Amino acid sequence: MTVQVRVQDKDSLAQFLGWFSIGLGTAQVTMPKTLCKIVGASDDGIAPLVMRLMGLRELTQGTGILTRPRPTTWLWSRVGGDVLDLSLLLAIAVKNRKARTAFAIANVVAVTVPDVYESRFLSRKTGPVRSAKRIRKAVTIDRPRSEVEAAWNAATELRRKVEAEGASVIFAEAPGDRGTELIVEFDYAPPAGDIGATVQKLLGSDLATQLSDDLRRLKQQIETGQIVRSDGAPDGHLLADHLRQRAAQPVKEAVR
Amino acid sequence: VKATIWAGRNSVDVEDVPDPKILNDRDAIVRITSTAICGSDLHLVDGYVPTMKRGDIMGHEFMGEVVETGTGVTNLNVGDRVVVPFPIACGGCWSCRHELFSLCENSNPNARLAEKMFGFPTAGIFGYSHLTGGFAGGQAEYARVPFADIGPIKIEDTSIPDETVLFLSDILPTGYMGAEFCEISGGEVIAVWGAGPVGQFAAASAKLLGAERVILIDRFDYRLRIARENVDVETLDYEEVDSVPEALKELTGGRGPDACIDAVGMEAHYHGPAFAYDRVKQAMRQETERPVALREAIMSCRNGGIISVIGVYGGLMDKFPIGALMNRGLSIKSGQCHVQRYMRPLLNRILNGDIDPTFIITHKLPLRNAPQGYELFKHKQDDCLKVVLKP
Repeated sequence: MTVQVRVQDKDSLAQFLGWFSIGLGTAQVTMPKTLCKIVGASDDGIAPLVMRLMGLRELTQGTGILTRPRPTTWLWSRVGGDVLDLSLLLAIAVKNRKARTAFAIANVVAVTVPDVYESRFLSRKTGPVRSAKRIRKAVTIDRPRSEVEAAWNAATELRRKVEAEGASVIFAEAPGDRGTELIVEFDYAPPAGDIGATVQKLLGSDLATQLSDDLRRLKQQIETGQIVRSDGAPDGHLLADHLRQRAAQPVKEAVR
Repeated sequence: VKATIWAGRNSVDVEDVPDPKILNDRDAIVRITSTAICGSDLHLVDGYVPTMKRGDIMGHEFMGEVVETGTGVTNLNVGDRVVVPFPIACGGCWSCRHELFSLCENSNPNARLAEKMFGFPTAGIFGYSHLTGGFAGGQAEYARVPFADIGPIKIEDTSIPDETVLFLSDILPTGYMGAEFCEISGGEVIAVWGAGPVGQFAAASAKLLGAERVILIDRFDYRLRIARENVDVETLDYEEVDSVPEALKELTGGRGPDACIDAVGMEAHYHGPAFAYDRVKQAMRQETERPVALREAIMSCRNGGIISVIGVYGGLMDKFPIGALMNRGLSIKSGQCHVQRYMRPLLNRILNGDIDPTFIITHKLPLRNAPQGYELFKHKQDDCLKVVLKP
């Protein structure tokens, strides 16, 4: 059996380049004069306008790369953009003769290399475009399968949530007398691709993020009979509370 | 109630905090009679362990009297005298079933945070950052003990003073586990880096387990003297030799020690450019460790030997001598101590006179003087080796 967890054409380099475009584009659109100074162009006349247009181009490309499942054309458009940027910078270099323009050119060249690499990588992809990402979340519970299944059936709220997402639930005996593996599998295709995925992750509204809490809590419930609480995390394991913990001092009122 | 709290880097305070309460059925509340400052508490105070919050109650070495139990605790009664192990363990997961208590799969409510940091989460620990669960610690008048039915060991004999059994909570088992890692079968030479409390107990345990020679390495005369007087060990002052690996090589007939125990961890001291390099990188947060002792242990160990790491590390180190480790067939064993596994056998060793752990105690202070205790211990003032606090 082949275990396939990530079935997406895009890899992390494409995602990085997408976010890079968004970041650079935002800077170019919001503060074109500053960026003109940085690359050694004059900050009046037509230059800031051109800078802003280039920023809009970056934003469009970034959005395309992040939202499309196989953004081959969008990646090649980044290569085209690099060529355009380099020719503009060369024109500035000839005109103004400033060292910082050479620095800007070096930076564009540095990003052109991964752009070309990733564009060629995506160009080699054939077959149907795979838009969803297969997500697999698993936990091993040190109890016999019947007990884990019974606990799963009793966890109505969690079960309904998982079913509503169309996820499949698999129970498997863990190797070496280690109890039962509980596996939740589903296809994840958030609206607006990687941008949507990031928003959902930040809000904690996607199933994978929620299962990080839910499966742990289910395991605790089955193996220890309780949800483990600490002074810093009196409500037990909750991802949303990880970064805003209270101090590890007794709570004033008992929570139960 | 009074408790020692983390008040920011290089600062602890004793403050009034709310009374601990039962939060889970398997909790107990303990009125603390003795508690101690651990070397690893210094890593927290020095600010090298992330996820500390102002107000966190410190301390993971403590004992006392049970004053309240949850409905799920049937093996302890109010009035029982108990020593509490520092790792919090549920007893019901695969790791606990295999006596890997400091790797309990359920006791850390901030598991995801620890998972991001370490790959997989580790158990909850009292008073030891939010990475290990955000549990209030035991340098206080009272503490809540989760899974009280699994961890604490009862001390029935009231004639035994607290000091004799207090260190079952952490440092005695930790030192013992460090020696056990060395797979001593008789006749070995063991080198131990760090003559702090854990290093002293590791050296003593190595002797107990049958090592022929134990060489303890430190730079503080008084610590080495305490070791020579109480444990049958040889000592090496690293500031008096050019190179510790070279010195150990000559002391062991050119072979190197059979096993090397690192009881120092992330804040090692040394002199020379290598130390300056790590000190600067650590201060700039470019690496979390100053791993001088670990590097030396690896370079010193005989071919095919064992490196036992019980000193605490937090994250990433630089210049790890992987070439020496791989080509010379060394093994590394490490871990936070699985205290629950060792409490009963080590209590028996104390009772039958194999070891008297009280020899490391140099200071006894009231809890309200905890900040002074931290200063003494951290700066090795007044020949301080171990501070016991009395609430």
